[in-house]
Amino acid sequence: MRSGNFKVAYKTIRESKWQSSLTMFGIVVGIVSVVTIVSLGQGIKRQIVGEIKSVGSDLITVRAGKGVKRDADGNIQKISPDFVYGFGSGTLNDRDVAIVEGSLGVKDATPIRLLNGSVIADGREYGDGFVLGTNPSLPNLIQQKLEYGSYFTTGETSRQVAVIGKSVAEELFQENVPLGQVVTIRGQDFIVRGVFEKFNSNPLGQGIDLNKAIFVPTTSLKEVAGTAAPVVRVLARPQNPKNAGDLAKQISSSIKDSHGGQDDTTVLLQSENLQVTSSVLDKLTGFIAAIAAISLVVGGIGIMNIMLVSVSERTREIGVRKAVGATNRQIRNQFMAEAIVLSVLGGIVGIIASFVLNFLIRVTTDLTPVITWPVVIVAAVVSVSVGIIFGTIPAVKAARKDPIDALRIGN
Amino acid sequence: MPIISIKDVSKLYGFGDATTVALDEVSIDVEAGEFVAVMGPSGSGKSTLMNIIGLLDRPSHGEYLLSNRYVSKLRPNQRAKMRRDKIGFVFQSFNLLPKLSVLDNVALPLMYRGVSTVKRLQRAEDVLERVGLKDRQYFMPKALSGGQVQRAAIARALVGDPQIIIADEPTGNLDSAASLIVMELLSELHRTGNTIIMVTHNPEITRYADRVVYMHDGCIVHDQRTPVGEVPALAKKAMYVYPRRTEEDDLAGVSAMMDFRPEKSTTKKRRASKKTTKKRSSVKQKRTTNA
Repeated sequence: MRSGNFKVAYKTIRESKWQSSLTMFGIVVGIVSVVTIVSLGQGIKRQIVGEIKSVGSDLITVRAGKGVKRDADGNIQKISPDFVYGFGSGTLNDRDVAIVEGSLGVKDATPIRLLNGSVIADGREYGDGFVLGTNPSLPNLIQQKLEYGSYFTTGETSRQVAVIGKSVAEELFQENVPLGQVVTIRGQDFIVRGVFEKFNSNPLGQGIDLNKAIFVPTTSLKEVAGTAAPVVRVLARPQNPKNAGDLAKQISSSIKDSHGGQDDTTVLLQSENLQVTSSVLDKLTGFIAAIAAISLVVGGIGIMNIMLVSVSERTREIGVRKAVGATNRQIRNQFMAEAIVLSVLGGIVGIIASFVLNFLIRVTTDLTPVITWPVVIVAAVVSVSVGIIFGTIPAVKAARKDPIDALRIGN
Repeated sequence: MPIISIKDVSKLYGFGDATTVALDEVSIDVEAGEFVAVMGPSGSGKSTLMNIIGLLDRPSHGEYLLSNRYVSKLRPNQRAKMRRDKIGFVFQSFNLLPKLSVLDNVALPLMYRGVSTVKRLQRAEDVLERVGLKDRQYFMPKALSGGQVQRAAIARALVGDPQIIIADEPTGNLDSAASLIVMELLSELHRTGNTIIMVTHNPEITRYADRVVYMHDGCIVHDQRTPVGEVPALAKKAMYVYPRRTEEDDLAGVSAMMDFRPEKSTTKKRRASKKTTKKRSSVKQKRTTNA
């Protein structure tokens, strides 16, 4: 009886192909948009998490300002957007740098000085990038290799040498070999001695493209630019990765002491950064997916509409079925089955279409959406529930029709 | 023990001043194996009586015993189940589902009984053989002639072995040749012991019935047993003996143009005014077809 209902429903749906496929289209669009948006979110999250992990989860970042709220256990409760994206506005002083560098258990540390503004090379101006002053330990700290040349060494901290990111090399020197060329920063010539490999991670924060950066020794940048190049970050890595948490707390309290007890700096672990970033992305994905879910509701209303039309079109059929002995429940089940078959077919087509779209996005763009099983299962469950929810009213309407009236119509 | 026993059944529609009495304290008993023809002008309550006997409707007042069970107070679902098990319908407009094959249509009532697919298709095939449509079982209804469709509809009514077959003008949409085949089939069913209640406007086909009931204005005005094969004289006259005359007719002056009243009508007078009779009978025919 049950399976018979679904067979009959499937047959009925096949008989009105146009109507059914248009109705299904509503569900298909809903499922595809939700699945695709969630999978894009998952893909971006996986990408960013991968980038953050590639830097190493024990990297400690010190920055000015209080952008993070922690609970009693030191877990992050809230983080200001300013601390997720870009360099931020606060600056640190030399004493803070010295505290971090001098802390017990620190293996490597470097201040990051930032100088915005254009650089000139070969008569060409490059305005997209920025200049970073760092210690020689930077490549080690952020685990980044050089493609050509080498990073400056401890002996060269006050010499005017530069290592450039890949985009800078391409923009300024094009097909020429950048090594040995000169870039002019604030009227001073710096000799290029290395080119970084392409950066896949953003250890300084989201939205900072290190491929567009010019790295120079921190001392020489200070000499050239003075206060125009403030310290925006101090990066440190512990000798023992397991002690990263303790070290971060220790640095935090040392700086607090040196600031006269004022808690105006933030010490972040890379692993915390990971947690914060993924929670922000999850929220964002959820929000957009919720908007996309509206189309599922619209699709459901489409089903309800079609079913209502179908019920009034088939009044006579209902009358005949009742006359030969169908109970209200049997009529209701028949129409429910139809709505469910419609929405389940829509769900199946939607899930298949999502995989196709996923493939197309991977092929045509550099995004890598990831369809996870929970998303597919949720989509399937949602499509069935849409059928049940929006099929109920028409089915009940059909079941309640008076057989005499129903038989009279069209007589 | 009658299979159908109706006592003082009334059916009212509407309320207040707009109340219409479709059935006015009708009582009738039908024995198992009877072939009852119900005649009467449109609006006389035939269809309402059929709906109540067929458990499609419930009476406003009165008692209805169907095979010894009080059914007038049943709830819709119980009525549906009784209908499914005890009653087969044959309609004037056939009412086969256009999207199902003849075989599936015939098997439909068994589906609602929960009979397995194989069994119900087998049973449907047997019944179709009985009505002579076995070679048409996989046709769609629209590919059959009117007579064949009605025979399929009769097969559908038969498939569940009902105690009563209710036929509401089974030949109303058929030409005389197809009517003959359908009526022969119903007659055959009657001979094999089925109880049939048939509404008709056509006096000719009452010859197949062994009892003719005349209705007028919601009442049974005459109930007559006749030998099968004979058209009772009253049936031929039925249309003329009980003309439908309403208050509106009186107001519009139409009644005045009807040159006879039930009490006045004589063959002599009608012969005398042949011309008017002709006119009038064409009006009557129109009414008949409208109904």
